[in-house]
Amino acid sequence: MQHGNSSNSNRNNNIINDTNNGNTTNCDTVPQPCMVREQDQYMPIANVIRIMRRILPAHAKISDDAKETIQECVSEYISFITGEANERCQREQRKTITAEDVLWAMGKLGFDDYVEPLTVFLSRYRENENERTSLRGEPILKRGIDYGQMMMAPYGPAFHMGHHQGMFDAAATAMGGYFRDASGAAGSSSPASLTKNFDPFGQFK
Amino acid sequence: MRQAGAYSGILCGGISGRTGPHLLPLARIKKIMKKSGDDVKMISGEAPIVFSKACELFIEELTQRSWLVTMQGKRRTLNKEDVTSAVLATDIFDFLVNLVSET
Repeated sequence: MQHGNSSNSNRNNNIINDTNNGNTTNCDTVPQPCMVREQDQYMPIANVIRIMRRILPAHAKISDDAKETIQECVSEYISFITGEANERCQREQRKTITAEDVLWAMGKLGFDDYVEPLTVFLSRYRENENERTSLRGEPILKRGIDYGQMMMAPYGPAFHMGHHQGMFDAAATAMGGYFRDASGAAGSSSPASLTKNFDPFGQFK
Repeated sequence: MRQAGAYSGILCGGISGRTGPHLLPLARIKKIMKKSGDDVKMISGEAPIVFSKACELFIEELTQRSWLVTMQGKRRTLNKEDVTSAVLATDIFDFLVNLVSET
């Protein structure tokens, strides 16, 4: 799971922060506790910056207050959309906010440009989940995500670690992920020799 | 390394890790969703996933629009005022007006 900042002990900060708007720039002397920005109500700033950098040219600089502002805007965006999605759930007397509710709310609130790419994203996610759960115990033949394809070889009894040769065919090289997790299964094969020319992701370059 | 985590997720269950390289933490998204109203009850597993992608799109759009303002000012540093201008100039960002106007 994610390991974000979980400073649950400072509940007071939340209340004070709301009125202060999390302003960190007004401390002339030692920062008082009420001036600390409660981080777990925002997306991690490093992640926000990384996404911004995908858009900006290499030479661009971003001021700290711009980063914080955008960080705050993201949280506001989530709240805004969720609020609308939640209202719809309540009108329809449903208890659970679904992905569809979120997409509907985005369309309603003017973010209809996002709806199509998000729908594609969601259907790929679902495809991926269905293959994973319904094929448990059998070879997973396809695991296509936005981010690239990955072929996985059978992980049942047919998989035999003794074979150096077998490790270098196309299917086996793609299971680098599995191999790395199943370190106990290496058996008599020396891990060093197996990994020497082993480029599990070579075919994806 | 991501594929290693992705595979082991099959044994662990849950939605983290296996769904690909999310840039934004799902647990944090869920927390923010819950905070959006006292009456938010339950959230499906997929809703934060949709948001993780949506927030990427949102950040990209806001950054793009802000940078245009920066460039108009012939500067190379994107600052808070550029973000404010972008928000004010974009109808769908009306919900952010109060947030960016507070100093």
